Amino acid sequence: METSFIVKDLDLFYGDKQALKKINMELYKNKVTAFIGPSGCGKSTFLRCLNRMNDLIEGCKIVGTIEKDGVNIYSSKTDIVDLRTKVGMVFQKPNPFPMSIFDNVAYGPRCQGLKDKKHLEEIVTKALKQAALYEEVKDRLNESALGLSGGQQQRLCIARCIAMEPEVILMDEPTSALDPIATAKIEELIEELKNDYTIIIVTHSMQQASRISDYTAFFLLGEVVEFDNTKLVFSTPKDKRTEDYITGRFG
Amino acid sequence: MSTKIKDKILNTITYFASGISVFVLGAVLVFLFSKGFSTLNWDLIVNNYWSQNLLGTVDSVGGDYTISEEVDGIYSARWGIALKDNVNSQKEKVIEVTYIHPESPLKTMLSSSAGDNNKEITLEDGYTIQKIDIVTSDGIPTFTGKIMSQDAATVISNIDSAQKITSIYYKTTGGGIRSSLITTLYLIVISLVIALPIGVCSAIYLHEYASKSKLNKLIRQGIETLTGVPSIVYGLMGVTVLFPVTQLFGATTTSILLGGLTMSIILLPTIMKSTEEALIVVPQSLRDGSLSLGATKSQTIFKVVLPCAVNGILTGVLLSIGRVIGESAALIYTMGTFINDSPKLLSQGTTLSLMIWSFMSGEQPNFELASAISIIILVIVLVLNFIVKAIAKKFTKNFA
Repeated sequence: METSFIVKDLDLFYGDKQALKKINMELYKNKVTAFIGPSGCGKSTFLRCLNRMNDLIEGCKIVGTIEKDGVNIYSSKTDIVDLRTKVGMVFQKPNPFPMSIFDNVAYGPRCQGLKDKKHLEEIVTKALKQAALYEEVKDRLNESALGLSGGQQQRLCIARCIAMEPEVILMDEPTSALDPIATAKIEELIEELKNDYTIIIVTHSMQQASRISDYTAFFLLGEVVEFDNTKLVFSTPKDKRTEDYITGRFG
Repeated sequence: MSTKIKDKILNTITYFASGISVFVLGAVLVFLFSKGFSTLNWDLIVNNYWSQNLLGTVDSVGGDYTISEEVDGIYSARWGIALKDNVNSQKEKVIEVTYIHPESPLKTMLSSSAGDNNKEITLEDGYTIQKIDIVTSDGIPTFTGKIMSQDAATVISNIDSAQKITSIYYKTTGGGIRSSLITTLYLIVISLVIALPIGVCSAIYLHEYASKSKLNKLIRQGIETLTGVPSIVYGLMGVTVLFPVTQLFGATTTSILLGGLTMSIILLPTIMKSTEEALIVVPQSLRDGSLSLGATKSQTIFKVVLPCAVNGILTGVLLSIGRVIGESAALIYTMGTFINDSPKLLSQGTTLSLMIWSFMSGEQPNFELASAISIIILVIVLVLNFIVKAIAKKFTKNFA
């Protein structure tokens, strides 16, 4: 199986506090990998390492390597902008820009210098269709994105991410701010997207992880306790702590 | 004390306080309008401040300029001119021209003032008659007019009975605030053009780029202090430090440019502060979203963060405009208090506020004129407010 990231001995410190301890993991292409674990266990922090969003946090220090296509993304030669175009991200709370729906989706390509209006229209239409939002918004592409419902906004954020045609989409609890119906739609969408993209999702809901993911990593106190095929993790967990967590004994 | 009574007391205090503020603000408006409204007219706004003295050669025996319509004042059909006793905005008695027939010999004349000899000059409505040289029916040359302390009726009867008018000495309308209005707008534009980009960009640097170092904190503290420095200190600094700068542009005296530069320095902290406050409220999630899409930091700031902050920045602009319009202390040193009818970048001038200061610091404070100017200032502030709000609305139409 092809890997999209190889993480080797990753340590992460916020000031003096160690948030991630010796993480080793291989993340596979065109699969959905879910990170589960209690709050504060480092799963979101780890996710943000994969597109170097942690660089924005002051006092954050990273040791170890994350290889993508055989190159360490933390080497000084890495172009962060280029990395982020390949590794897109969807956040916990929908964060559409205060622009029109069209401008939101066209934002990424425009930042890359694309100006041709026709080409942009194609990209936007394609991305919105892939994000299963096109039918709902096709008549109001020029209206403010902030007028959409929460679920629609989150799908818009996914469309915005898809418009960049990334290889990997990182999702940081994308459904935690949404109602069950919107959540179901997003899950359906993830199911479809995994044919084209590698998806790494952080989730608080174990049902969600078992429903949509192919692989599951269980994080506890900054360590990866268990990482395996989702079915195996949920049916026959190797570690006692994993078993305790997924059966609801703590967390 | 029970909670209920406490609540009632607190509520009463707030009601009372808001009542007082509304009353005070209303009283200010009522005072200004009652004092100044009668002085307020269109001529005040469009006229020059200084009236010109003109001397025109007439040498005419008159004609028949009978008109059918009623005119204000006393009309002389022989000369085609109507005169009226009036009081000007400086409270001086004048003989005002209320109507002049288009074909009257007094309408268009050749100037005989030294300097612009034989230039064509005209007599218009609103001008005031100082002196009319006449030859009486007995052939004796004499004169009539305001300098003889005569009133309009006497002047009309004198010229009607005269053999001919040889020349006329009159004043164009003055007392207007056109130049100060223009200077005020000049000053707003100059100071904003300089202060806005510098202030906004430095606020962006401080908030978005600069690390949270001690130096940064010190700079921030400094800016906050600068907001509270009295403007007269800025005025002193302007005249000593910035005057050489304006000399590079060819200024020889204090000038509107110097005033504008000084004002822009006064505005800088205000604009920086409001911009920074606007940037602070822009949610971090928008920055994250933009960066995660592969946008560079500057793209993020100029395409996402700044448009979100426009409203706050425009509030700063509004405050700045108010500050420019209201400023007087700093401008006394840097622009002078001379009312200049043809304000230029490198000439002296006065803003409306300075003009009020001049009128009120004279021997005879002119309350009416000062109030009238205050009303005009209020209107300008109101109009600019609307304009800025409209711009803000246009920018933030997607920020529903």
